[in-house]
Amino acid sequence: MSDAQTIAVEVAGIEQVTPLIKHFKLRPIAGGTLPVFSGGSHIIVVMQGAGRVHKNPYSLLGSPFELETYEIGVRRMEESRGGSHFMHDAVKIGSRLEIAHPVNLFGLDKIARKHVLIAGGIGITPFLAQLEDLHGGGVPYEMHYSVRSSEHAAFLQRLRRREGARLHMYYDSEGQLIPFEPLLANQPLGTHVYVCGPAGMINHVIATARSSGWADSHIHWEQFSAPPVGDAFEVFLARSNLSVHVPPDQSLLESIEAAGVEVPYLCRGGVCGFCHTRVLELDGELLHNDHFLSDADKAKGKSIMPCVSRAHCKRLVLDL
Amino acid sequence: MLVTGIKSKPIYAPLQADTRGRFHLMVGMGVGAAPLLRVVVEMKSVAPQSLQRTRVLFVPDDGDRAGLGAAASQLDQFRAAAVGAVRAFDAAPALLEQFRAVLSESLMGTRLYVAGPESFIGLVMKIALEFNLNKDEIRAEECGTLARRIYCIHCRATTENVRTNIVQCIGCARWLLVRDHYSRRLAAYMGVMADAEAPGELPPLKEVFL
Repeated sequence: MSDAQTIAVEVAGIEQVTPLIKHFKLRPIAGGTLPVFSGGSHIIVVMQGAGRVHKNPYSLLGSPFELETYEIGVRRMEESRGGSHFMHDAVKIGSRLEIAHPVNLFGLDKIARKHVLIAGGIGITPFLAQLEDLHGGGVPYEMHYSVRSSEHAAFLQRLRRREGARLHMYYDSEGQLIPFEPLLANQPLGTHVYVCGPAGMINHVIATARSSGWADSHIHWEQFSAPPVGDAFEVFLARSNLSVHVPPDQSLLESIEAAGVEVPYLCRGGVCGFCHTRVLELDGELLHNDHFLSDADKAKGKSIMPCVSRAHCKRLVLDL
Repeated sequence: MLVTGIKSKPIYAPLQADTRGRFHLMVGMGVGAAPLLRVVVEMKSVAPQSLQRTRVLFVPDDGDRAGLGAAASQLDQFRAAAVGAVRAFDAAPALLEQFRAVLSESLMGTRLYVAGPESFIGLVMKIALEFNLNKDEIRAEECGTLARRIYCIHCRATTENVRTNIVQCIGCARWLLVRDHYSRRLAAYMGVMADAEAPGELPPLKEVFL
């Protein structure tokens, strides 16, 4: 992925759907239709902020059958590094943005005999497009959607209208919890479970499915980590012969890009593995925040995912 | 014409208990009893509670009459090992019908263990695939005859129990070259007309799948 391949879009619609979530419609400036995508895909939105560029991944939530616009849902993050605040505060109808082509890291299993979809909060967004694919497809499915309270239930009308009894709602404010154990212990063979939401929910679903005997190949999840804020550190790019300063509120990947070095990426959220970079020298420790490297690889300290991970060190040399 | 070195040829491995599973379904034929019993013994030592959630579907007769008595006595060993349920069948078709019925009411968390001749494993796998069981959930150990089921790519008939490098198709009487190209969907190896280029010129007939 490089910015040369982005698509120029303008904001065609904005709706505040919950106190924290805004729904955006994006239309190609060049006219015509946008690239085809499948349910579960995300795009990277490139935002020209004040003095810096934000590139955040957002799931496409519109129908894969309607390509005049793309729809995304953006939750305002309390500890935003700027991207979600920019979308909420600076972007108006008619604002121009760049987006990268859709990539699907959270696709439905095409030969599953049943799908169980589990969302927490803003995690509903990839499922909205997947449900369009599932609707009327003949394969049984159920959608379990957990939110803080009714005012936080984004896209509920759309879901109710389409899904009826297949939609199961859970409100934290009413003390309602998704019954993970019985839900996962009683599924027919060939069921696949998909979860998107807070880290705690994802980890709990994975652990519960495994303890019910599910093989990992039937468990699917997606969580884009925002790059965490950390201490500033210096990195030396060996092939480029360049020293780069990484400030506390900028990711390693963003800092490298700001220095003019391109790193391939797809998700910028620690999931896809595209920005995998070799560590050549290190005199401290790597702070791995990705979901891609195995624990063993993280412990080896020979590679890093610069989109979300940082380092606590005096000297870090990367093979870039 | 490529005969060996084909990726679709299934690879089997010795059975091992997978105690991450919640339910265990064992399906076997003939000398396949031995590897299944090995898993039962392993379970008994590492996770004895798994045995109650284990079912066995078994055909003692794999066509080799000499081994029939041994297989029948192994059936008693399953029963003695306090395995949840053991059922014996006279022949593969009855077992496969029951296997399908069991799968249709099985839950996620099930592990499948298959042991027996390859052509039997293939038929079991074909049904397991329909239920979206995948390689993480299925273990298979090949034992007994290597005789193959051959699908004629010309007339689509299937010739059973093929032990030779070439075979005359039961459907169209063409001489077929037996390839390693395997179809999981058909549970059969592909047979391709052996003398299509030079009619009547056939390689010497050899017994290779014993």
